[in-house]
Amino acid sequence: MTEEQNQGEKGAKKALPPKGVQEQALSHQRSIWPFGLAVALIILLVGLITNPVVLGIGVVLTVAAIVGWGLERRK
Amino acid sequence: MATRTIVEAPVVERRKRLDETYIGEWLMTTDHKKIGVMYMLTGFFFFLAGGVEALLIRTQLAVPNGHVLSPEVYNQVFTMHGTTMIFLFVMPTLTGFGNFVVPLMIGARDMAFPRLNAFGYWMVLFAGIFLSSSFLLGQAPNGGWFNYAPLSELTSNCGNAVMCTPGLNEDFWLLGILLLGISSIAGSLNFVVTILKMRAPGMTINRMPLFTWMTLITAFLLLFAIPSLTAASVMELLDRHLGAHFFQFAAGGDPLLWQHLFWSFGHPEVYILILPAFGMISEVLPVFSRKPIFGYTFIAWSGVAIGFLSFTVWAHHMFAVGLPPIAQAFFATSTTLIAIPTAVKIFNWIATIALGKVSLKVPMLFACGFIAMFLIGGLDGAALAVVPFDYQVTDTYFVVSHLHYVLFGGTVFGIFAGFYYWFPKMSGKLMNERLGQIQFWLMLIGINLTFFSMHILGLLGMPRRVYTYPDNLGWNEINLLQTVGAFMLGLAIMVFFWNLITSLRSGLPAGDDPWDAYTLEWDTSSPPVHYNFLTIPTVRSRRPFYDMKNPDIADWKTATH
Repeated sequence: MTEEQNQGEKGAKKALPPKGVQEQALSHQRSIWPFGLAVALIILLVGLITNPVVLGIGVVLTVAAIVGWGLERRK
Repeated sequence: MATRTIVEAPVVERRKRLDETYIGEWLMTTDHKKIGVMYMLTGFFFFLAGGVEALLIRTQLAVPNGHVLSPEVYNQVFTMHGTTMIFLFVMPTLTGFGNFVVPLMIGARDMAFPRLNAFGYWMVLFAGIFLSSSFLLGQAPNGGWFNYAPLSELTSNCGNAVMCTPGLNEDFWLLGILLLGISSIAGSLNFVVTILKMRAPGMTINRMPLFTWMTLITAFLLLFAIPSLTAASVMELLDRHLGAHFFQFAAGGDPLLWQHLFWSFGHPEVYILILPAFGMISEVLPVFSRKPIFGYTFIAWSGVAIGFLSFTVWAHHMFAVGLPPIAQAFFATSTTLIAIPTAVKIFNWIATIALGKVSLKVPMLFACGFIAMFLIGGLDGAALAVVPFDYQVTDTYFVVSHLHYVLFGGTVFGIFAGFYYWFPKMSGKLMNERLGQIQFWLMLIGINLTFFSMHILGLLGMPRRVYTYPDNLGWNEINLLQTVGAFMLGLAIMVFFWNLITSLRSGLPAGDDPWDAYTLEWDTSSPPVHYNFLTIPTVRSRRPFYDMKNPDIADWKTATH
């Protein structure tokens, strides 16, 4: 067996999920913050060309979204 | 005696959390496949919008002295046509393909940064809505997709003591582009890290599928090209609203600085738009020729060469502004040089088809159409690198023809090749072959009717961006012909959407591997389960799925790579 093949098989063993791991454990963890941050940024930009009050709301929402994103617990 | 009444306990139903509802599932998803599908749906929506704008332009120009659109609206429509097609159709759609396909191709379960990936998509959607909403205010961007200064300036330095663009038109463009730039940077970063760090065991860089290669190069191009556009946009916003003078000659600024900054983004951008299509073609051709790609290494590394050279050619868009001869010579040479790696790819694709057992299914038809149409666009580009010739045809319809052969004949044909190829994996259904063929032939005839004659129109001197023309210049019949071709293209796109909808509703089941393909994405169910692979596959050659299906004649037993 060549060294390359050997490495490939070692890699495959390493990549196997641990015993008992169910498909559920591999599922994607959802998050609202990407959507929330994008909404906040668009409000901020609309405020930039329309109204300082909208701009202020956009700034607050953007900060809130960044904080929420940062504090979200991930697996 | 006490009696006891047994009351049926009320059934308490827990309210569904947001992420358990159908809408919430899409709003909150971080699954690369769903995000890829959302990118593509958004891209195709804006393709329709940009297509309607194109048909409006062609209707206005069908006959001389047309009055379908006013000059003001025409400016907005042609500006938004370019902006929509480039930033809101092609880029999101190609990113969608990358999102859906690349992690599957490299044997990964997701992108490296799933939340950043979702954020990139939402930014594209909202930026698109933001840009398009400008039509509702009657103030859509109107300075062309290149937004040249000083026309796009707010103050009275256009040269005639008039206000340049006093409305919100250019603000919409500049802010929309800033938003899209954020999305592009987020997406590119994700692709680079995913491809470099999350490949399956054994998938060395020289075993990566070519679509993954081209996506990686494109991501690097975006990372290096977008900052130039972002900087220019911020500078122009400062000019417009905070009294700066970066692009105002009268105050010591330089309008040409905008052109340099824009095109040092804009020319890499052309390759950002075409390289992923090169990758798609490089996946489709070998599968439908039943042989490995010819010259894998040359195709991959010529992509790298194109990436580097694309940063050295920007001023060929500016030959007519009066560059010094040494600069003209440099940019003419670098532009000619970039034709070499491009031609290398074309020779390799032709060699892949040659002597193969060619199956002319719809993805293959579009791939072959891509080669032919892109070749015309590429040869036009080489002609435009010749400075005296460029002087003659600059800002004429010759240039419009060139860019549409590259971006429509090239990128859009590539997108359809890729879409027909990977649609069974995305949906589990096959698209209708007959409708696909009708669409292909309508598109092939339509594109040549519309854009080939633009070469002649350009040589006859018709300038681009004019909203109408007098009837005594010999341009009438050619313009009418182009309008007929454009509506034929519109019909082809309607056939595509009809095919898409009917195939989703009642298409034949595709199975997991309908094309007997070679790469890892076909080693999953159709559509793939959310975790892609329960066990990460091991790769031993450039055609890992072919190896699995043919263990006796696996590539790794015979090939050296």
